[in-house]
Amino acid sequence: MTTIDAQHSSLSSSDNYLNHTKGIKSWLFTLDHKRIGVMYLIGVLVAFFLGGVFAMLIRFHLLTPEGTLMTQDQYNQAFTVHGAIMVFLVIIPAIPAALGNFVLPIMLGAKDVAFPKLNLFSFWLWIFGLVFFLIALGSGGIDTGWTFYTPYSIDKASSMGGVIPALVGAFILGFSSIFTGLNFIVTIHRLRPKGMAWFNMPLFLWGTYATAIIQILATPVVGITLLLLIVERAFGIGIFDPAMGGDPILYQHFFWFYSHPAVYIMILPAMGIVSELISVHSHRHIFGYKFIAYSSIAIAIFGFLVWGHHMFTAGQSQLVNIVFSLITFSVSIPSAVKVFNWLATLYKGSISFNTPMLYGLSFIFIFGIGGLTGLYCATLATDVHLHESYFIVAHFHYTMMGSALIGFLGGMHHWWPKMTGKMYNEMWGRIGCITVFVGFNLCFFSQFMMGSRGMTRRYAQYLPEFQSYHIASTIGSVIMAIGFVITAIYLLQSIFGGKKAPANPWGGRSLEWQCSSPPPWDNFSEQPEVGDCYDYSVLVWNEAEQGYDWRTDAVHPGEEENG
Amino acid sequence: MIDFISNVLLVTATPVDNGGFWLPRAASTAAEGVDLTFNVITWICYVFFALIVGLMVFFCIKYRRKSPDIVVQGPTHNTALELTWTIIPLILVVVIFTVGMRGYLNLREAPEGCYEVQVTGQKWSWTFNHPEYGASQVAELTVPLGKPVRLLMTSNDVLHSVWIPDFRVKMDVIPGRYTSLWFEATKLGDYHLNCTEYCGKDHSKMLAMVHVIPADEFDATMKKLASEYEDMSVGELPAYAINRLYNRCVSCHSLDGTDGTGPTFKGLWDRVKNGQVKFTNGDSLSSMLGDATEYGEPENYIRESIVDPQKHIVEGYLGSMPAFQGQLKEKQISAIIEMFKHLRDVTDANGNITVNPDGTPTE
Repeated sequence: MTTIDAQHSSLSSSDNYLNHTKGIKSWLFTLDHKRIGVMYLIGVLVAFFLGGVFAMLIRFHLLTPEGTLMTQDQYNQAFTVHGAIMVFLVIIPAIPAALGNFVLPIMLGAKDVAFPKLNLFSFWLWIFGLVFFLIALGSGGIDTGWTFYTPYSIDKASSMGGVIPALVGAFILGFSSIFTGLNFIVTIHRLRPKGMAWFNMPLFLWGTYATAIIQILATPVVGITLLLLIVERAFGIGIFDPAMGGDPILYQHFFWFYSHPAVYIMILPAMGIVSELISVHSHRHIFGYKFIAYSSIAIAIFGFLVWGHHMFTAGQSQLVNIVFSLITFSVSIPSAVKVFNWLATLYKGSISFNTPMLYGLSFIFIFGIGGLTGLYCATLATDVHLHESYFIVAHFHYTMMGSALIGFLGGMHHWWPKMTGKMYNEMWGRIGCITVFVGFNLCFFSQFMMGSRGMTRRYAQYLPEFQSYHIASTIGSVIMAIGFVITAIYLLQSIFGGKKAPANPWGGRSLEWQCSSPPPWDNFSEQPEVGDCYDYSVLVWNEAEQGYDWRTDAVHPGEEENG
Repeated sequence: MIDFISNVLLVTATPVDNGGFWLPRAASTAAEGVDLTFNVITWICYVFFALIVGLMVFFCIKYRRKSPDIVVQGPTHNTALELTWTIIPLILVVVIFTVGMRGYLNLREAPEGCYEVQVTGQKWSWTFNHPEYGASQVAELTVPLGKPVRLLMTSNDVLHSVWIPDFRVKMDVIPGRYTSLWFEATKLGDYHLNCTEYCGKDHSKMLAMVHVIPADEFDATMKKLASEYEDMSVGELPAYAINRLYNRCVSCHSLDGTDGTGPTFKGLWDRVKNGQVKFTNGDSLSSMLGDATEYGEPENYIRESIVDPQKHIVEGYLGSMPAFQGQLKEKQISAIIEMFKHLRDVTDANGNITVNPDGTPTE
């Protein structure tokens, strides 16, 4: 009982990480993982806005078959910049670097990550990466597509002048990502509290751990590849350009050896968040913990072996294609396992439809479509037809945007009270989520249909028969944008006028819900109680605080072990 | 609804010309295997998606939280159940893989005795050479019905890719190496061919049309195509050039006066004849025409800007035109020059072509 009282005294304390020190420098040079996480979050959201502006330009341009807004060159820049910003600056860092930085050490009951200075350094690398992307825009632009395919990206006469700054930016962002991954791996290995074995960790940590493995093993490959590309473009050394004795397909192998695992950098932590959301908001123990945990690791490992499926029509031998197709299917099994386990968690739960939960349920719906359409892309006969069509565009938006980003938004709403100490307006939260959900599906489902019917991606102009699909897609994108604007408004409003958040508004059991909202500077004044992080029977609703407390009669994990 | 489902189930069985709900019309032998695979996967997807969303909605309604005090204890694991939903998907994906692999081998393994066409991709047009007839087509490919055709492809610059959606075939076109694809058309008609690997500015204009004609007409058509310009008089050449050769220029040079990657062809002959062309190196064409000058006759300048366009680049343009040295016969170059001289006779003020290849007016 003494520990509970001590926690209550820390709850009422007004000193927290937001007001512990003051001034802009105390943020920019902070070593506190929570402040770094918040700065990442702001950066990612700004980059998301930028990438979103280019997305809307693209969608409005495609309202008519001739194109409405831009020249061909401008259109090519728009989709390149949209893709590069969204991949390198938004989705890859969104969950691990922004939410993960904030939550991961607290979930472990730790005071910080293992290497706080490295953590700050990786944030600054992210800023430098962003700066180089802006330089690329100012120095002639980039029109290579975010994939930088050779020999187009090497040929100075065809591609625009901003290629090298953009490559440098992507290279730097790669290091930012590697350092975050390294930090998380060491933190999870070394800073787990007493009593928390590997299989007692919240599943979000399994997701970030699997992600971190990919970050440190795959990202160096793309770093070297981008360096080779810079050398080739700057000094004319033939590596990938057939005119100089190079091999353009080699570039594709190098690029996808990283960039396919990178899609699991995006989706794995989102799956981790969804495991938390579904369990906490169903107030019910997660079903099949070990299968979910192992499936994250399985996806991370299989993810390294499937890059060749991006090159089914690139002239690989038939045998290589068949092998890559077969291995690609292996990823679908652990993904399916996760979905079924989430459904089983809902079974006999007590489901509250808070905003984070609506995002969690949206994730299952959208990832259902995104995952199942992956079957068409893994299958050889159908992928040959669908490759480089809008079907692929729709598929990867359903997974990378619809799933990864919806997971990120769910996590952001889940931990928003913890990060800011304020509650957002629940009704507007639900309206925002539903608007985004409807808009997203209208925007991208129509792209499946036009893609399989013959609409090529990256076209600034198209045949009139596809116009109705494009109009539907653009209407969807406008609805989605309205949803995001609603979300931005009520979240900003909550910071200035929101109700004060209780320590545990949703009834979560993992350690971050045991410290106050917002957390104190050093996270915990006393070591929090570690137990089964999905056992909600120890919590009880406190009407006065509008949050959950520990039951006074709850058996504490330590006591249970002692008998 | 019945139509919709049957369309999705068996695209090729429907008489509708524009295909089913998901796929366009199928017009090659390989399309059958591809569409079968597609439909197998689609039905598996429908079933699983309905299962997932159905269960989710059902549980959400049945187990919604009625009071914040409720504590529930459901099962936390069930190994038999979890193994079941691991193994059933495993079996299904092996089935999908096998069906897809068989369709793919059918798609890739060209039969003996294909009719061969050499394809060259170049920013931003397609050239199709028929070695058997010595004929060449630009942005148009004529093939016989019911005969296997093999495309042997390469690129002169960056990556391109050939996609004929109605045939369900696709293959990248790569500089410095050859790739191939084959198909056997099963229906007469015209089919779109797209460049589907991003290749720069006018990627979306790098299109071609595949004409499937009866096999017994093919020989005569190709022979005519190969030699039609040889017997033409000078007066007939503009109509030939605007229909058969301009395809290669259309992505960069307009006929209606709008500016593109290159200068418009409208009024080009007048500008050249009068020397009203400035080059990026500061020279003016007017000083290069006339007795004892670099070009002498204006026709020589046009000839050079086709076979070696990098030599003099017109002011205000980047000079991204490829060289056509060796790709055009002398008479074809003459035909292009005649086309410039008589552009008003073969196009209208809006840049629409007004004559057929044989000189008769279009409708």
